[in-house]
Amino acid sequence: MSTVLTALQYLGYILIFPGFLFCFLAGMLLCGIDRKVVAKMQKRVGPPVLQPFYDFFKLLGKETIVPAAASKVVFLGAPLVGFAALVVIQLFIPVFSFTVFTGVADVIVILYLLLIPAMAAILGGAASGSPYAGVGLSREMVTIISCELPLVLILLAVGKTVGSFLGTGITFSLTDIAAYQAANGSLITKASMIPAAIAMLLVIPGETGNHPFDAAEAETEICEGLLAEYSGAPLAVYKLTHAVKMLTLTSLFVALFLGGIGTGIMLVDGIILFLLCVVLTILTISLVHAVTARMKIEQIFKYYWTVVSGLALISLVLAWYGL
Amino acid sequence: MILMNYIVAFFLICLGFYTVVTKYNLVKTVIGLSIADYGVNLLIISIGFNPGGTAPIFTWSELNPNSFFVDPIPQALTLTSIVIGACVTAMSLALVIKLEEQYGTLDTREIRRLRG
Amino acid sequence: MSMLSYQHFPIYSIMVLFLGAFLIVMLGRNKAVRNILALLAVTASFCFLAALVKPVMINGEIIAYWMGGRAPAGGYAIGIALEVDALSLFFGLLVATAVLVSCIYSIQYMSHDHNVREYYTLFLMLSGGVMGLVLSGDIFNMFIMVEILTFAAVALTAFRNTAKGALEAAFKYLVVGSMGSTCILVGTIMLYAQVHTLNFAQLSALIPGNLNNATKLAFALLFIGFGTKAFIVPFHPLAADAHGAAPASISVLISGVLTKSGIYGIIRLSYFLFQSMGLGTVQFMLVFFGCMSMFICVTMALAQHDFKRLLAFHSISQIGYVLTAVGLCTALGISAGLYHAMNHTLFKGLLFLAAGAVLHQTGTTDLDRLGGLSKKMPWTTVLFLIGAFSISGIPPFNGFASKWMIYQATYEKAVESGNIGFLLVTIIALITSVLTLASFVKVSQSVFFGQLPKEYENVKEVSFGMRFAMCIFALLCVVTGLFPNLVTKYLTEPAANAVFNVTNYINSMMGSGYAESVMGESLPAVQTCTFVEVGCWNPVSWLLVLAIALLAVTLVAVCGKYDQVSENKGAALTDSKYDLFFGGEESVYSQVGGGDLFWGFKHNWRHYFSFMHDLHSGIVNDYALWAVVALALVTVFLQIVL
Repeated sequence: MSTVLTALQYLGYILIFPGFLFCFLAGMLLCGIDRKVVAKMQKRVGPPVLQPFYDFFKLLGKETIVPAAASKVVFLGAPLVGFAALVVIQLFIPVFSFTVFTGVADVIVILYLLLIPAMAAILGGAASGSPYAGVGLSREMVTIISCELPLVLILLAVGKTVGSFLGTGITFSLTDIAAYQAANGSLITKASMIPAAIAMLLVIPGETGNHPFDAAEAETEICEGLLAEYSGAPLAVYKLTHAVKMLTLTSLFVALFLGGIGTGIMLVDGIILFLLCVVLTILTISLVHAVTARMKIEQIFKYYWTVVSGLALISLVLAWYGL
Repeated sequence: MILMNYIVAFFLICLGFYTVVTKYNLVKTVIGLSIADYGVNLLIISIGFNPGGTAPIFTWSELNPNSFFVDPIPQALTLTSIVIGACVTAMSLALVIKLEEQYGTLDTREIRRLRG
Repeated sequence: MSMLSYQHFPIYSIMVLFLGAFLIVMLGRNKAVRNILALLAVTASFCFLAALVKPVMINGEIIAYWMGGRAPAGGYAIGIALEVDALSLFFGLLVATAVLVSCIYSIQYMSHDHNVREYYTLFLMLSGGVMGLVLSGDIFNMFIMVEILTFAAVALTAFRNTAKGALEAAFKYLVVGSMGSTCILVGTIMLYAQVHTLNFAQLSALIPGNLNNATKLAFALLFIGFGTKAFIVPFHPLAADAHGAAPASISVLISGVLTKSGIYGIIRLSYFLFQSMGLGTVQFMLVFFGCMSMFICVTMALAQHDFKRLLAFHSISQIGYVLTAVGLCTALGISAGLYHAMNHTLFKGLLFLAAGAVLHQTGTTDLDRLGGLSKKMPWTTVLFLIGAFSISGIPPFNGFASKWMIYQATYEKAVESGNIGFLLVTIIALITSVLTLASFVKVSQSVFFGQLPKEYENVKEVSFGMRFAMCIFALLCVVTGLFPNLVTKYLTEPAANAVFNVTNYINSMMGSGYAESVMGESLPAVQTCTFVEVGCWNPVSWLLVLAIALLAVTLVAVCGKYDQVSENKGAALTDSKYDLFFGGEESVYSQVGGGDLFWGFKHNWRHYFSFMHDLHSGIVNDYALWAVVALALVTVFLQIVL
């Protein structure tokens, strides 16, 4: 009986919180808030906050066209795999002291799991056969390479800081990182972690492919690149994936740097987490979107491998010498 | 005296490698490999040499603790090495002939379709 | 000992391969006969080794086998010996698996070629050579086996001698490979001059106490010699050339088996013969060569236009991971390195077979001419993607499990030793991994996805035999990725334990107490191989969660009529809405060329790329010069630090 209950409980985690339903609602809301805030900053009225929901359901009702040149299975399967993988990542990221699945994945695994949605988008785009998608996937891949170096440095810095406190030297375990912050306060309060936190803030729009790092789907030049041939339901899933990605990365930031402020009550924690994600989204995605123009792909690469990596490296070196 | 053997052996190996590195003719490259091989053979046989030793050929009854002979193992190794050296030469010359047929030249600077 | 005692199995597993080669020369005129003979030989060899798993891997025995029963007399090992410890068996099993699958694949793959009898003969000689190398307990025999495998590999590289560059590649390989073999021979004979034995166990007992300039030179010579066999930088251009020209089934052996023999030699050399891995400087040397191989080769791969050549560079890049991990000299490092060595054989084999399938069906491996094959060759596409995900380390495939261990090992080493240099190693390893992913994205876009060129409209899927071989590798990739704990427990940990237990290795061969009596105080401490992982990764649970998630998404999607798509049924219905979007223009064939992908990345590194392009000039003299320079540097380095 209890195994059935446990199974049901985990199914609830996967399907409701912090799984699908939460991802869907929170991600879409984040997306709506982002659009509204950007509009306000640009002195536009902007769409209603619930606009992404309307778009999503509208797209579901549209005809899905599979181009004659496309490989159907990959073309249609990729969006689903990408979205499912993203939801799974969300399950591994601690909500303050609460984690659904402990001992399944650590930060290095998260780093690689984050590649799966990107790979799904790339393969789906490639499978459509469109030359725009060809250009788009090339840019998407370069953006991934760009973000990878700073992200690696940030994770190593966090691992070293927490590990030297635990006495094991290093740790990659997210549970350890959450426990450390619950005991010692958020990592962002440590001076050595501030450059890494800033770097992480700068990585978020790159990973989600938001302005100004959206060369991969630049609507005005390559017609959304990877999504050029998508229509109907698969396109809706892609839009959803993009929205959830914002949630995933901002909550990863919260888990890495703003941990330890949870109350222990799941519902309250969920709300706090969501509010923090909203603040971070406005800060990293909306604000940057409103004030910058799109960068060229080689500029993105250069920017991430010099400025952002430099910041992360400062943190890593500071953490290395135990400061 | 045996020191001279070692010096010459290493000189030959170095000369062989030098030839391979500096000469642009395929046949000379093969010759370089052979020279290095001769150097190795000389080195091996010199290592087994005991001044005043006899040839290591005995029947069981002849062998006694006072027998003094050169080390037989390096001689066996040298034979193997000679055979392998001959194989290298034969195989590389075969390739050189085929290369000449295909590329029409023996110059290594022109046999570089695979690069980058 | 009865003839069927497992003590005899190592020699049987070598002999059947050579015997097979011999029989095929005599009886192999008939196609069926030679196929059956080859398959029998490789299967028998595999079975003999598999039977050794229980005594060696699980019970921890070491099989010391004296040919003709000539055991050591008077403290000197004169006879020729085979010695199989867990490390040898680990590499032996890799060899046997790769050879078996490659042989299955060859049957169909080589069916259009001439002189297939000679092909199988050389194939079995190559396999036998590597098998003999990894099971041998005698350093001169190792040299002989190195020569056999080099010759067979050179001949097989030139096998399709009308293919572009085949002869050229074979010649370059022969020249530099012979230089490497010469180095091994000189190193061997210099060791013999010092301690008058060729037996590996006895050498391991005697050399560490007899370190002098000559033995240090011998170390450098042997290291470079085995380095040429592993194709580590600076010998990587040979691998690229050889792979590009050789038949795919042989590429599997060159990358999966031949490079492993070099790695095996380096492990034996540095951990057993000289027992020098405790020195930070020697660790530095191995890690340095490993990182150079890892990074230089992955960037070279990004710039390639040929499928197989690209794979070849990746092969060496992955060998760099193995060498780096092995060079850390920690239990986790060695375990991770061996794990990755195994994975490398599996996914690299799979990728080369997929490349071979493309070549077999289309007649080209030029990335700029191919495209859109996923519709024509769905099986190959899926299998290729499994291989590509494995090598790029996408969870839950096997490449991820081993790379994850390597990251931990390097970072742990950095923290333990307090050396910030190892931190750089972790970062290079992580970046190399994402660059690997990038180049496989390039391959999948240029070969399997994108638009289908007109000339390949009639391409068919490959035959069942070839798919079957690929499926074996793909299955192994998935299984070893999903159960990393089983792999470490039954395969890599026993092997890593063997690496740290040199005393046992010596005594099993020379009689118990020998190591203690010869080495006395300097006897290396036996480390038990235990390690704590600093992170957590549970692929089965992850996959389960993903499966549930995917099922849920799919169910919802299908309920939302996700699968009710409109597609172009039949060629007669030409509705322009099924054409690709071309900004309003009429749809034409326009594939983005493989070389132009990742422009944003290459542009920033253009000086580096053009420098590397010029450096790999393709002139054999340059490659020989690199070999000589590497030898000189390693010699000087070792003279100073040992």
